[in-house]
Amino acid sequence: MKNTTVLGAFGALALLGATLATPAAADKLDDVLGSGKLRCAVVLDFPPMGYRDANNEPAGMDVDICKDLASRMGVDAEVVGVTWAERIPSLISGRTDVAIASSSDSLERAQTVGFTIPYMVFQFQSLLPADSEITEWDQLKDANVGVAVGTTYESELTDYSAANWPDGKGKITTFQAENDTYLAVSQGRVEAGIATDTAIANILQSDSFSNLKAGPVAPFGADIVGFMTERNEFGWINYLNLYINHAYRDGTLGDLYETHIGGEMPDLTTVGVYY
Amino acid sequence: MTDVFTTLQWSDLIFLLEGAWKTIQISVVSILLGTLLGMVFGWLMSLNNKLITFAVMAVLDVFRSVPLLIQLILFDSFVAIAGFPLPAFWSGTIVLIIYTASLVAVVVHSGIDAVPPGLRAAARCLGMSYWQEMRHVTTPVGLRTAFPSWLGVALATIKDSALVSAIGYVELLRASQILNTRTQESVKIMLLVGLIYFIISYPLSRLGARYEQRQKS
Amino acid sequence: MDYQFHWRPVIQALPDLLKASLVTLQVSLIAMALGLMIGLVLYFFRASQLRVLRGFGSTWVEIARNTPSLFQIFVFYWGLGEFGIFLSSYTAVVAALTFNCAGYMAETYRGGFNAVNPGQDKAARTLGMTRFQSMRYVVLPQVLRAIYGPMTNQFTWVILASSLGMLAGLRELSGETQYFNSRTFRTFEFFAATAVIYYLIAKMALLLMALLGRPLFKAERAKS
Repeated sequence: MKNTTVLGAFGALALLGATLATPAAADKLDDVLGSGKLRCAVVLDFPPMGYRDANNEPAGMDVDICKDLASRMGVDAEVVGVTWAERIPSLISGRTDVAIASSSDSLERAQTVGFTIPYMVFQFQSLLPADSEITEWDQLKDANVGVAVGTTYESELTDYSAANWPDGKGKITTFQAENDTYLAVSQGRVEAGIATDTAIANILQSDSFSNLKAGPVAPFGADIVGFMTERNEFGWINYLNLYINHAYRDGTLGDLYETHIGGEMPDLTTVGVYY
Repeated sequence: MTDVFTTLQWSDLIFLLEGAWKTIQISVVSILLGTLLGMVFGWLMSLNNKLITFAVMAVLDVFRSVPLLIQLILFDSFVAIAGFPLPAFWSGTIVLIIYTASLVAVVVHSGIDAVPPGLRAAARCLGMSYWQEMRHVTTPVGLRTAFPSWLGVALATIKDSALVSAIGYVELLRASQILNTRTQESVKIMLLVGLIYFIISYPLSRLGARYEQRQKS
Repeated sequence: MDYQFHWRPVIQALPDLLKASLVTLQVSLIAMALGLMIGLVLYFFRASQLRVLRGFGSTWVEIARNTPSLFQIFVFYWGLGEFGIFLSSYTAVVAALTFNCAGYMAETYRGGFNAVNPGQDKAARTLGMTRFQSMRYVVLPQVLRAIYGPMTNQFTWVILASSLGMLAGLRELSGETQYFNSRTFRTFEFFAATAVIYYLIAKMALLLMALLGRPLFKAERAKS
């Protein structure tokens, strides 16, 4: 009798200890709530989605989405500036909890990381010097075209030119950062650059790039982007999906789009198919 | 809609200097710990035990035969997938420490080798213990040959600290890239950054030249 | 550790990585060869009586040795662009590495020439050799022997440093690796494979230098 009581007491104690000491079942969502801090990886050379303001502080639509998400979770937002190439290492290393970094949801990438439902849609467009004579997309086949390394439009362009321009005399020059591409077009280093329509609309507003103009849109189709996190964080991905849904339907995303890009927020659904 | 490109201003100089301070921090930690570790390796190699010498040499040789940039990216992603996430400062600095140590080991090894064996034997004959001989004979004599090469390694470490920017740490070079991107005034920024690097490393390289001069006369 | 390694993408990309290694080799060989030649010129500049030449040589050497090589690459790639001089990634990387190599080799030559006793040149001239002949047959072979070790190290250094080309958009071995990394996000697997390839290239370079150096040290070996 006595023995079983003691045993029971020990058992209860052990159980209590286990609940206090083992975070084994805690997932990323628990980690964020527990630490009181949401760390977002954002690419900060991709205006207007992410850039640094005059005080070198992070700014842009991706940055504001991170802040909005954090405030809805009741935690502090910490924006970690990354380059295109650093997005995944920063996620896998646990330095960040989520990448809100305008990342295309390619099937190849989804073999390594987990994507949420789309939160933005881009078109790919060419950026030209103001005096350029290029008016049709196919005229780019003989041009030196600049593109940022590690972006979807780099691989799309590489595949496209291999498939459609086998006899093209042009070449593709890659740059480490998005802004390097604009600078290269502006300097005349390349004859055209490829970027997203939002970015091009934005830089054309800037005094620094009055010598540029928007060119033909790429025939690759829309670039659909989602948040990224670790592939096995289902609970976290579910939460993020629901957040995107809420942020769209209550107008937050639309407001941010209006502020940062201007105009109507695009439709995020793909017609004719379930996600 | 706001203009996302803003011009260079005075506060940006402070931003650059903060980056420079981080460059100095990475360099000092890497040089200090790398030198200590390198001395241990160098000493191990000079122990007259062929197996140890070969093993240490082979392992350190790997670090000297793979680009530092690749080592940084590889180590950073390795600690990530192994589940020991480190801040970028430390995963970068640890790689730099080991890299520096692999260079210092060679310097220390050849420094010890430069001490005439007869001299060391004589010290032992006079009744010195192994450690006494190390402390009073090999170290001062070996240091004279090793010091200029060590300075070269220290200089290389300062400059190689720029590569830590590739794993996302905002040191001097990365800070300058951020400003380049934001302001598009790359020439001014590059001149400034080149000057800062020069100011950090030039005293060390002058010291080396002076030392060499004194050795000669 | 709950990460699953996937090596298949790496194996599929291996032919492309090896092709890119050729670019690495090409860039390194060109930069090294040019660096050796320009370095010699810089050495003579610095040893010259003319102050302008001395100043030019010293400035080059000091800048090359006291700023990071990645910075030098950025200057050739971006800095010159501001003045309307557009170097392709390839040219900019080759130029920056050459600039760096020449600076270091100038110092190495200095050590090499200092190692040759000036009396030897005098003796050769007394024996009726012209200045050029004495240089060619007496002084330079000894200098070459003295600098062969540091030169080998420099060659390995260039091969490894060419990896920085990736940060200036060059698709050499590292750049190609980065491309596949951004497509598949398999950072560790791709860079691990690349580390192995670099190790092998570095060892091959050492072997090559040892073979090339054999005739140089033949006389020495015969003596001993």
